Amino acid sequence: MKRNTLVQTAALIGAGLVIAIVANAFASRDRKLAIVGTYPNALKVPAREVAPPPVQPVTAVPTTTTTSPPTATATTATQPTATAAITTVGLNPAAKTPAATTTTTTAPTPHAPQPTPPSEDHFLPHPDKPYVEIAFADVKTLHGRNVLFLDALRTSVYEQGHIAGARPYSVWESDIEDKVRKLFDERSDPRDQSLPIVIYCSGGDCEDSHMLAQKLWGIQFNNLYVYKDGFPDWQQHNAPIHTGANP
Amino acid sequence: MKRFLTHPWLTIRVQIALGAIFVIAALPKIADPPSFAHMIYNYRLVPSSMINISALAMPWVELLAGLALILGVWKTAARNVVAIMLAVFIIAISINLFRDNAIDCGCFNVADRGKTHEQRIFDMKVDVFRDLGMLLMVGQLWWAGKREEDEQLSRNP
Repeated sequence: MKRNTLVQTAALIGAGLVIAIVANAFASRDRKLAIVGTYPNALKVPAREVAPPPVQPVTAVPTTTTTSPPTATATTATQPTATAAITTVGLNPAAKTPAATTTTTTAPTPHAPQPTPPSEDHFLPHPDKPYVEIAFADVKTLHGRNVLFLDALRTSVYEQGHIAGARPYSVWESDIEDKVRKLFDERSDPRDQSLPIVIYCSGGDCEDSHMLAQKLWGIQFNNLYVYKDGFPDWQQHNAPIHTGANP
Repeated sequence: MKRFLTHPWLTIRVQIALGAIFVIAALPKIADPPSFAHMIYNYRLVPSSMINISALAMPWVELLAGLALILGVWKTAARNVVAIMLAVFIIAISINLFRDNAIDCGCFNVADRGKTHEQRIFDMKVDVFRDLGMLLMVGQLWWAGKREEDEQLSRNP
């Protein structure tokens, strides 16, 4: 390759980089990206979720109405110490998240009818796990208790419709670290950090809510719940929805 | 056959078509960098710290290379950039096909289209063949450029 061509090739790439950085500096809030982002599991291929086989109908067993326990799946790990977390708020909380050692465990499925524990016991802090995945019934219960809801979808999607009262917390937008820092300031008392927070995105293979939960868990929030089926499920149940930029 | 494949009539059309494809591909990514960053993240090949800068710079490089091809400015450099990008895309999609990691390629559209695993895998195979086709177009440009150089050399030894 001629030297002149090499210089021109490098100039094209360099010009693209410079224009990109300048354009990003002037971009609107929901289009802007932090130059260096923090994405745990960026190199980890997600395990494919396989749909469970269809359940055979049982006719001989008498039916009993029960409420399933809230915890379907929990991700376990060790939460960083409070001092370490507070000093690094908003800088790189995920970096100290032991993602590599994270293991997924499934709670026993209630094959047989089990007594439902009192609802107060459902949503206790769980500092050993970044988040607990919950389904609609528990999400609805927490919504009824005015628990904080965080919408991890893009702001433009949030404005089209979100769970009533939820705040926009898109992990892909540049102001996420500021929002996380602000939430930490709001709830700097350890007792406040033990209050339940529900995080959701679009369900299915959407990981944004899990990423946000990991960020928050990294700064000492220890009672985080991920709404596994996300906003589409909430809509299907005709639960309260708000549109626009406000919660 | 060789004469037809390296004829300026064909070369100029291939050059403009390739440039137009790259310009069209760049626009949605420039319009929504966070969504493109999400697409890059889904490939699970780019380190965390490099995802955002790649999502910001790649579309602009695509746009500049595409415009250069359309306008006939710095043709060889633009052709090299396009060839490098296509090779990277083909390798990245192929690795994910091998890993059975079904993703939207984010080539022309950065919105999540809610496809099933099987639909995504099928689309990824189509994307690889499409990119190979574009790489053939780059090959035509390279071949025609080489022939032009040879002819110039024979005229002015």
